Amino acid sequence: MANIIVMVIILTIVVAAIAKIVIEKRKGVKCVGCPYSQTGDSNCSCNDSR
Amino acid sequence: MKVALTGNPNSGKTTLFNAITGKIERVGNWAGVTIEKKEGKVKKSLNKGNTSITAVDLPGAYSMSPFTSEENVTSDFVKNENPDIIINIVDATNLSRSLFFATQLLELGIPVVVALNKSDLNKKKGIAINVEALSQRLGCSVVETISTDGNHNGLEELISTAIEIKGKRQKAPFDSSAVDMADKSAIEASDRKRFEFVKSIVSEVENRKVSSNRQTKQDAIDRVLAHKWFGIPIFAVVMWAVFSISQTHLGPLLADTLVGWIDGFYGWAEGLLGEGVSPVLSSILLDGIIGGVGAVIGFLPLIMVLFFLLALLEDCGYMARVAAVMDRFFKRVGLSGKSIIPIIIGTGCAIPGIMATRTIKNERQRRTTAMLTPFIPCGAKLPVIALFAGVFFNDAAWVGTTMYFVGIAFIILGALIVVRITGEKNAKSFFIMELPEYRFPSIKRATISMFSRAKAFIIKAGTIILLCNAVVQLMQTFNWQFQVVTEGAADASILASIASPFAILLIPLGFGVWQLAAAAITGFIAKENVVGTLAVVYSITNFINTEELALVEGASDVASVMGLSSVAALAYLMFNLFTPPCFAAIGAMNSEMENKKWLWSGIAFQFATGYVASFITYQIGTLLTTGAFGSGFLPGFIVVAVIVVYVAYLMRRGDKRATEKLALSI
Amino acid sequence: MDSTISSRIILGVNKIMERYDKEVTNLAEAKINRAYIIKDVKTNDEELKNFLFTLGCYEGETVTVLSVLSENYVVSVKDARYSIDKDLAEAIIV
Repeated sequence: MANIIVMVIILTIVVAAIAKIVIEKRKGVKCVGCPYSQTGDSNCSCNDSR
Repeated sequence: MKVALTGNPNSGKTTLFNAITGKIERVGNWAGVTIEKKEGKVKKSLNKGNTSITAVDLPGAYSMSPFTSEENVTSDFVKNENPDIIINIVDATNLSRSLFFATQLLELGIPVVVALNKSDLNKKKGIAINVEALSQRLGCSVVETISTDGNHNGLEELISTAIEIKGKRQKAPFDSSAVDMADKSAIEASDRKRFEFVKSIVSEVENRKVSSNRQTKQDAIDRVLAHKWFGIPIFAVVMWAVFSISQTHLGPLLADTLVGWIDGFYGWAEGLLGEGVSPVLSSILLDGIIGGVGAVIGFLPLIMVLFFLLALLEDCGYMARVAAVMDRFFKRVGLSGKSIIPIIIGTGCAIPGIMATRTIKNERQRRTTAMLTPFIPCGAKLPVIALFAGVFFNDAAWVGTTMYFVGIAFIILGALIVVRITGEKNAKSFFIMELPEYRFPSIKRATISMFSRAKAFIIKAGTIILLCNAVVQLMQTFNWQFQVVTEGAADASILASIASPFAILLIPLGFGVWQLAAAAITGFIAKENVVGTLAVVYSITNFINTEELALVEGASDVASVMGLSSVAALAYLMFNLFTPPCFAAIGAMNSEMENKKWLWSGIAFQFATGYVASFITYQIGTLLTTGAFGSGFLPGFIVVAVIVVYVAYLMRRGDKRATEKLALSI
Repeated sequence: MDSTISSRIILGVNKIMERYDKEVTNLAEAKINRAYIIKDVKTNDEELKNFLFTLGCYEGETVTVLSVLSENYVVSVKDARYSIDKDLAEAIIV
């Protein structure tokens, strides 16, 4: 029983972490957790054809 | 409703943007901090209208005809994206330059409101501006603002004026629509007239007590801080002080409390799990997740103090002087003086640093800078530095300072090599940079910047680093048959078998064990992982002692667990700092370099630099301390010799091309 | 032999004298704290010239060298200060 609870806890933490990364990536953040790499959603520099 | 914020570089656009939207975009007291447009909703407390307002912060520009690519962003935006209103931020201390751009904006047919920013500085300098007369002459509303001030900053008036003028068009005070845009000399003549026009306005509305071309206290400070010989030692002392405070004094003091909490939490969780839980699961939760993340989070206070101090430095205007001091060296090795800005930004995070290389016009200089920027230790590398300084060097502040200067040395050396390989050592480039005024740094801004970075650090620790640690813990617990490896036989684990081949390559560097190799590998995902992975593979819950006020718990114990000499530890630190940065930074390099050959050469060069530096540190250091070379000297020497010979060959080839080019041009 | 040495010395002295007597021709030779009128910006780089123009650095404008720091010139144009390198200072003819 205790094992199952611990398993659930670990899975919850891991899933939450993955979800957070996915959400941030969708928002266009290049590096999750890098200060100053957060940018507005309209400016992915990888797309501009300079 | 869309409002565009435009203005000259360093006129305070982003500060104003942050003040009206409540965002925390990066600001700094030098020209060219903002390189991309940023959007945000104007705060409800300022927006009295019913429609929501989106403010768009644009990079600084001196005119509508762009010189650098970030000026391009600005002129493209106002021309093509039809903002409803332009707020033109004018540096009140420099009307005669700023109004040139303002008069161009007034011609666009978009309602413009001028924000006369930094109006507080004017009072100090004895400059008086007749706002009403200015508004009349320009034919648009002018609002005095102080965006650095919390209250009485004129921002509410600015926003309400912006709402009012929506849909109205002003008559351009200077009309150049009749000018033939294809005729160069006609444009030039018209621009000259425009400047004359601006001059006439300024002479009418501005009253200066002191002419700005007189020497001031500022220039006296410049002569010391940017002195030919003292400039660099002063910079070294400043950096040393920053490290000393954050890493030896204030940082550990704060870290101590935090680590106490983390320890408490670990103990609490351990007690909660009790005996009934399978040891595999409990070790994943305790050692992998809580221990690994805790070890990284434990460094948070150090990082925060450091970020706070760096923010103060950026705010006071010193950084532009550092650029002027460094220009001399950078130019000799074929970089532009502007290369210093990406490097300074890179101290926070390499990604925006690499993105900032866009301000460099010359393609080779831009690519070289993008390739070399990651050598400067970024925020993510600081926990690694702090860990090694703490475990092996008794918290010495010189370790961190040295790493910065070694980073700068590699940048200069790297640039020298690149310029010769590309055969462009004869190319000439000009350096011009605005020197912003010194000002007393704002504690508030530095605090905000510190907390935003701290938040990002925690998010990173809770996501990427947590996942990596959990995976490392799993890979360490199981072997390829997915059986739990017995204690003391971790060498049979999945992790060990993957990392061991790499470890062989690292023997000549003094740290050829799979644990350290694994930590270095996870470091490519995010550099903080080095700390987390070390904590996991050596089952050290945290590196900071709560009792002795020493940064590292039983420093000598940790050192002996890792089985490294101080010299090897320094070599390992160098390897982690000067090999390629994280994958995200490599992605940024890719998008700024726009050339696969440059990208791969850049990555190879970074690997070579890290390997050679680490090899030299370990072997020479061992020779000095023990009197004999370290293990694996010969194979390592061969590898290093091959690298050096190959680079030398490329440089010779480049030189030949350079002379050919020169011969052709004569 | 003697004559060559002495003529060399004279030549050298002349050169030094020239340096002092000669009219200041570009910003790199400008005296500190004196306002000069820009006569020309000598560069093939059209874009650079345009950029300097938008800063207000073009023919007919005044420019002052405020200090010379580590091979960089601090100049005041309009109401702003810039740090420029020697190559650029030499390109600005006053």
